[in-house]
Amino acid sequence: MSDSALKASPLSLSLFVWKNLWRRRLRTILTLFGIGMAIGAFVGLVGFSNAFESEWMRIYSSSGTDIAVIQQTFLNTSLSEAAGKTLRSLPLVENATPVIFNLMALTPDVNALAYGWKADSYEFDSMQILSGHRFQDGKPEVMLGDLLADQLKKKVGDTLEIQSSPFTVCAIYHAGSGLQADAVIMPLDQLQELSSLQGKVSTFDVRLKPTPVGESREHYLKRAQAEIEAALPGLRAVPAAERASNNQFVQLAHASAWGTSLIALLIGILGIANTMAMSVHERTREIGILRALGWNRKHVLLLIQLEAGVLGLGGGLFGLLFGWCALHILAALPQTASIVSTTLPAYLLAEALAVSVLAGLIAGALPAWHAARLSPVEALRYD
Amino acid sequence: MTSPALELRGVHKSYDEGRIEALRGVDIAITPGEFVAITGPSGSGKSTLLHMLGGLDSPTSGEVLFKNAALGTSVDLDTYRSQDVGFIFQAFHLLPTLCAIDNVQLPMISTNCKRNDRLARAKNLLEEMGLSQRMMHYPNQLSAGERQRVAIARALANDPEILLADEPTGNLDSVNSAHIMEILIGIQKKRGMTLVIVTHELEIAHMANRHIRFRDGRVEA
Repeated sequence: MSDSALKASPLSLSLFVWKNLWRRRLRTILTLFGIGMAIGAFVGLVGFSNAFESEWMRIYSSSGTDIAVIQQTFLNTSLSEAAGKTLRSLPLVENATPVIFNLMALTPDVNALAYGWKADSYEFDSMQILSGHRFQDGKPEVMLGDLLADQLKKKVGDTLEIQSSPFTVCAIYHAGSGLQADAVIMPLDQLQELSSLQGKVSTFDVRLKPTPVGESREHYLKRAQAEIEAALPGLRAVPAAERASNNQFVQLAHASAWGTSLIALLIGILGIANTMAMSVHERTREIGILRALGWNRKHVLLLIQLEAGVLGLGGGLFGLLFGWCALHILAALPQTASIVSTTLPAYLLAEALAVSVLAGLIAGALPAWHAARLSPVEALRYD
Repeated sequence: MTSPALELRGVHKSYDEGRIEALRGVDIAITPGEFVAITGPSGSGKSTLLHMLGGLDSPTSGEVLFKNAALGTSVDLDTYRSQDVGFIFQAFHLLPTLCAIDNVQLPMISTNCKRNDRLARAKNLLEEMGLSQRMMHYPNQLSAGERQRVAIARALANDPEILLADEPTGNLDSVNSAHIMEILIGIQKKRGMTLVIVTHELEIAHMANRHIRFRDGRVEA
């Protein structure tokens, strides 16, 4: 047997797909970059919003909050502070503390989450005061998370002006969650005044008494929810985990991430569709040859769809790389470092790849259908 | 009496809503193992006839029968093209991105032929065509005669009973034309295949068992 025959390998459909894509390598690479950027945006933004959600969950879990009590409606996020008394009187409730949170402009460049707590709030249990002392209710004092203090270059005793009102920095603290480490905490009454929410709070964080022996945690939570909602009609008692994923900040982050990703993905899909449509157009005669050689419509459809799917998969892999880079860049920026996690969970990687392949298949569907419908004899005559 | 391998019964083919009539009632029967040459001036309908015989196109009216079964109704056209018929074109129609041996394997992808069997069969066919040293060469690295030999190997890939050739020597010089015809006739005799060639060259037509002359979409008397 000749040397050249020894080098030959069986031609498979996948090898044929690869050769077809590689023949127009610049176009293929540009298409891969296009869908890759879209998937990169998906990985980066959804990864960021997921990390944001995890940080919220960490706030609840580190403070020992079991249930958050909120308004039933999504948009109306304030409820009467007076409900706290009723809450604390319920048999299953160990403690209930009112909370206000808001996003505030501390300087023209720095926005931060501002929490309003009572001085005796159990939420303080999970944080460590690095310097200074806890604020007192009714006084214009604030506590700064260590990350925010570094950013603002403030120390205990300094004055911080918030919405034209001077506040004394009474403490610098460290918290497990980036959302708190990068935040300002002030007396509830002070934030109520700043936010024009006198007598109102955003939520009550509730710590339940220990789960009775013999009762499952899930059942106990449901029982407590029912008890709270019965005592406070019009309010919702939401388990902490659900609240972490459903609060308006997290929902906004998720919606922004998915919305932006979908737009990027749509552009990526159009890129693949354009590439595949051009490819089918240029290869009309070749498709006629394949049909003359006995390839049926399904085989032609499969060929074009596989090419589009491979572009999607390849773009997905590029995208994972882009997303990973984007998260590392965000993790290096002081504004986002405390929230961003550079660890990409396996489900997000799988989701990104699945979305990418699906995008490829959607983009390839119309060109593939067009190719499969070509009449062999007309395709052979095509110039 | 042997039943025809291929038969056309009253085949008409028109285009452009009947304004152009390519075939006007053609009746031909081709027996198994027969070598038929079809000649005629350009536009006489001979290539259209070949497309009908190969299941690439369907008649406007009339029937094309393969072993007494109508193509497109009793016989699935894709299956027929894949298993029963092999095509050779004047312009070779090799895929430029595939080397010779890959081009020969191409028709076998659409069948249940196993991957290693495809490779072995493609090697054997190319060796039979005298191309054992050119298997890894791409079409643009092959001479016209070599390309047509690769195309013949490709047409034989799925071991069809019928070989259809549309001006197979149209792009070749006289030496290569003679070589290709020698190969085609050799294959036809060795394998007992039915061979139908459309050609302009009377010299080739005279090599056939039967010569059908075409004019204005009809078989000339």
